[in-house]
Amino acid sequence: QTHTKMSFFGLGQGAEITIELSDVEKRRKVDVKNEEGKKEKLLLYLDGETVAGSVSINLKGRKLEHHGIRVEFVGQIEMFYDRGNHHDFLSLVRQLSPPGELTQFTKFPFEFLNVDKPYETYTGTNVRLRYFVRVVIVRRISDLVKEHDIAVHTLSSYPDLINSLKMEVGIEDCLHIEFEYNKSKYHLRDVVVGKIYFLLVRIKIKHMEIAIIRKETTGTPPNVYTENEQVAKYEIMDGAPVRGESIPIRLFLAGYELTPSMKDINKKFSCRYYLNLVLVDEEDRRYFKQQEIVLWRKGDLRVGRKPVAK
Amino acid sequence: MSKTQTLAVGDDQEKLLNEALKHVEANAFEMKTCLDNTKLMDALKHASTMLSELRTSLLSPKSYYELFMAISDQLRHLEQYLLEEFEKGKKMSDLYELVQYAGNIIPRLYLLVTVGTVYIKANEGSRRDILRDLVEMCRGVQHPLRGLFLRNYLLQCTRNLLPDISSKEDEQGGTVHDSITFILHNYGEMNKLWVRMQHQGHTKEKERREKERLELRILVGTNLVRLSELESIDSSLYIKSVLPSVLEQVVKCRDSIAQEYLMECIIQVFPDEFHLQSLNPYLQTCAELQENVNVKSIVISLIDRLASYAYRTDSGIPSNIKLFDVFQQEIAIIVQSRPNMEVEDIIALNVSLVNLAIKCYSDHIDYVDKALGYCNELLTKKISGHIDHNGPPGRELQRLLKVPVDGYDEDVLTVLKLENYLSLVKMLNYEGRKSLSLYMLQAMLEKDASIESFTQAEALFSLLSPLISDQDDQPTEKCDPEDFEEEQSMMARLVHLFRASQPDQQYQILNGARKQFGTGGDTRIIYTLPPLIFATYRLITAYKTIKDEDQKWRAKCEKIFQFSLQTIMALCKLVPELSLRLYLQGALTADQIASETIAYEFLTQAFTLYEEDISDSREQVNCITLIMGTFERMKSLGEENHGALRSKCAVAASRLLKKPDQCRCVATCAHLFWSGKVTTDEGSFQEFHDGKRVMECLKKAGRIANQCMDKVVQSQLLVDLMNVYSLFREKGNTEVSSSFLKQLIDKIKSDIEELEDNDDKTLVDIHFQNTLQHLRHVKANEGSDS
Repeated sequence: QTHTKMSFFGLGQGAEITIELSDVEKRRKVDVKNEEGKKEKLLLYLDGETVAGSVSINLKGRKLEHHGIRVEFVGQIEMFYDRGNHHDFLSLVRQLSPPGELTQFTKFPFEFLNVDKPYETYTGTNVRLRYFVRVVIVRRISDLVKEHDIAVHTLSSYPDLINSLKMEVGIEDCLHIEFEYNKSKYHLRDVVVGKIYFLLVRIKIKHMEIAIIRKETTGTPPNVYTENEQVAKYEIMDGAPVRGESIPIRLFLAGYELTPSMKDINKKFSCRYYLNLVLVDEEDRRYFKQQEIVLWRKGDLRVGRKPVAK
Repeated sequence: MSKTQTLAVGDDQEKLLNEALKHVEANAFEMKTCLDNTKLMDALKHASTMLSELRTSLLSPKSYYELFMAISDQLRHLEQYLLEEFEKGKKMSDLYELVQYAGNIIPRLYLLVTVGTVYIKANEGSRRDILRDLVEMCRGVQHPLRGLFLRNYLLQCTRNLLPDISSKEDEQGGTVHDSITFILHNYGEMNKLWVRMQHQGHTKEKERREKERLELRILVGTNLVRLSELESIDSSLYIKSVLPSVLEQVVKCRDSIAQEYLMECIIQVFPDEFHLQSLNPYLQTCAELQENVNVKSIVISLIDRLASYAYRTDSGIPSNIKLFDVFQQEIAIIVQSRPNMEVEDIIALNVSLVNLAIKCYSDHIDYVDKALGYCNELLTKKISGHIDHNGPPGRELQRLLKVPVDGYDEDVLTVLKLENYLSLVKMLNYEGRKSLSLYMLQAMLEKDASIESFTQAEALFSLLSPLISDQDDQPTEKCDPEDFEEEQSMMARLVHLFRASQPDQQYQILNGARKQFGTGGDTRIIYTLPPLIFATYRLITAYKTIKDEDQKWRAKCEKIFQFSLQTIMALCKLVPELSLRLYLQGALTADQIASETIAYEFLTQAFTLYEEDISDSREQVNCITLIMGTFERMKSLGEENHGALRSKCAVAASRLLKKPDQCRCVATCAHLFWSGKVTTDEGSFQEFHDGKRVMECLKKAGRIANQCMDKVVQSQLLVDLMNVYSLFREKGNTEVSSSFLKQLIDKIKSDIEELEDNDDKTLVDIHFQNTLQHLRHVKANEGSDS
């Protein structure tokens, strides 16, 4: 249910537009962050699914003159540093009514059949990708507009072929480790399993943690903005190991707010994920190694879970 | 982590601990409140905060332990709640994942272990897999102290959950093999952490660190205790799957504290039956330990344990296990592998070995001898000259040599059969040898051990030589006279242990002893020879009892008397009075076997001694009285000899210095004429009963008494004489007439009246009155008899 949105200039000629999507009861809802960063529960659609529903117009006055009523399904990328300038990568329009006059409550059904929704809903630091249904009552001075957001998930399926990530890194004569993550691509409810082997330890390590870092890149050269955000921080070792130790890693991803990795979305932005292995020594010096991982959303969805104390 | 790695000390410790405990209490309270309101998520958050207290690096092991105990108490509430939740249908697998989101590893792993425990109890997942996962995940904590306690918590929680069945039927539930893998893994990791503590921090804090490590050792040892609690482990499984890994870890860690503790721990926690089956691998490991590990005490504690086991159980050591051989070989290898091992430690090992041999193989004297031989060889190689009794090797060597003495409890003389014993004893210096000789001697006296052969005696004399004679390496200053006396008195008692069953052998022993004792010098022989002389007299008596079996018995006895005489001769100048008594005793003994010549010889020797060497008047009285007493009892002398001796006695008595002495001795001499015995040709004897001669003696005594100037003494002597008269009268000497007696009584009566009134007079008077009363009594009896 959406609430009323009054037009300032349509004094006495206002109308309440309600967009109601079909199968509200049955469809899953997910949390999506809105412009203000607050979480909203939105209906979830997948690529190729039909978006259908009805538009109800409730008159405030006795009649409403208009130059036509249309409903649009929009996929939009919005840069936070360039608010006025939206980029619609998807825009479908259905005319609901030719120009004329409404004198009573009217309800228009609509349907966008099997819409391609190539990208996933995303709210980042500098960029937002959203899908919404928009109703526009075109008028002489100011249009009456009503938007209704939906959430979109892009599902993918990766082959079972698993490539583990294995790498030897170190600082000469000081620290030499080999780390191994079981995969390079994880689905969002996956578990990162791995091991760190200590081949040479000449520094006094205090602890070791693994972090998930989201790297969001927006814009096109030369105006590229990059934001790094630490999504998760997870201590995996306490104390100083000696040569030959191997430390297990097990990190459940489901508890964190992650999205699938996105690359060059409509040439506007990318969102990549990195596993950052950090060793901290007794003088609080940090030694780290970042390794990109690809996150993807798996088709088979289950009920979400919450993390315990973080 | 903002906390620094330095440890607080003293009061700060207490403050920090109290603060931490306060936090624990507060969070535990919150946790329990949440649990009561079934808010599990919040409860877990509080539990996690509470557990964060264990992330500290500031507490000493002791304080950390207290904190750990407080927290693990609180975690039990959580576990209890989770168990109830599970019974209500909550899925533990979800919870097992859920707790793993905790960002910090310490709280996360404690929670994981707690939930994992419930997970296992819920029988939801594979017990084996969960255990494996838990022990594997704990690797994340590499900080020694925190890691040790975390793994201790793991052990504590899984204590009753470890699968303990050997069959493979229940793969999911796991078998004892899985438990072994689990514990061994945990044990290996804990030991590594524990060893690592040694290498942390400044070198000058080494001592404190070692102390702290010792406080924590029990945590590592608990792993072994858990293994020992698994009932499905039998000795073959122990040898195949448990011990090798345990030992491998011990060797690999190359840390002496750990090696010493763990090797000891293995011995203590596993049953003796297992040790018996695994001696070789265990002892081989001992040879591989670090140079500064006290291998000695490890091996000793194993040997001692097995020795007491064998002693305890009825079956003893199974015959297929060559316990002694194995130990001996392995000890040799251990010694070889440690060229710097102290001599005393090697001896100490053999102390236990000998102890084992005695306890488990009492019939194998060769085992003990082997061990002694080994030490003998070793000491010859390593030490030149005598070994100081007070130095470590000397002390150990004495301990070693005392083991057979104590061990052959019932038959202490078995020691003499040990070929290597004496040569080992001889390596000690004088004090060492002497104290050992005394120890042996004391044991023999206590056990009343009979020495029955000459060979035994010979061996014994060699062993006891520091007590028998002066030694070349003896210190010049004299030892304490009291000690010397005590020691020689013990030697004297030793003579009484010579108890050969055949008199001939006994003679051989005594003869040997005489030769040995003779070398002891004047100070010793006065203690050692007298009992030997008595022993010869006993031997004479022994020959007498077998005279029907031994034709030559008399000749042998004569030889022995010769021996006795000569022996006494050695004493004459040193202890005349004692020698005189010995002569008299000899005379009596000779009298018993009716050997007149010998008896006469002994008596004359006594007289000679009396005349030549007894000069003190009091001693003279004693001696002449003794001579007369002995003489009176003899019955083998013919008239010729008897007469000579009788008059000799009378002369001697009358020649005493003091009148009272003369008087009494002459009176005593009277007995020789009454109850003295003379042998006849037929071999029988008869008493004299010469009343006249008796009277002569007594009258002479009376005359001497009258010559006394002191009236009190005179009266006393007369009363004494009156008693003697009375005695002879009672014996039937008719020469003692009533009128004579009456005369004497009147004289005494008037004499006493004349005496000055004093205590002496009273005493004499009382004696006199008593004697009168006795006479009246005798008279009354005579009257009634007739």
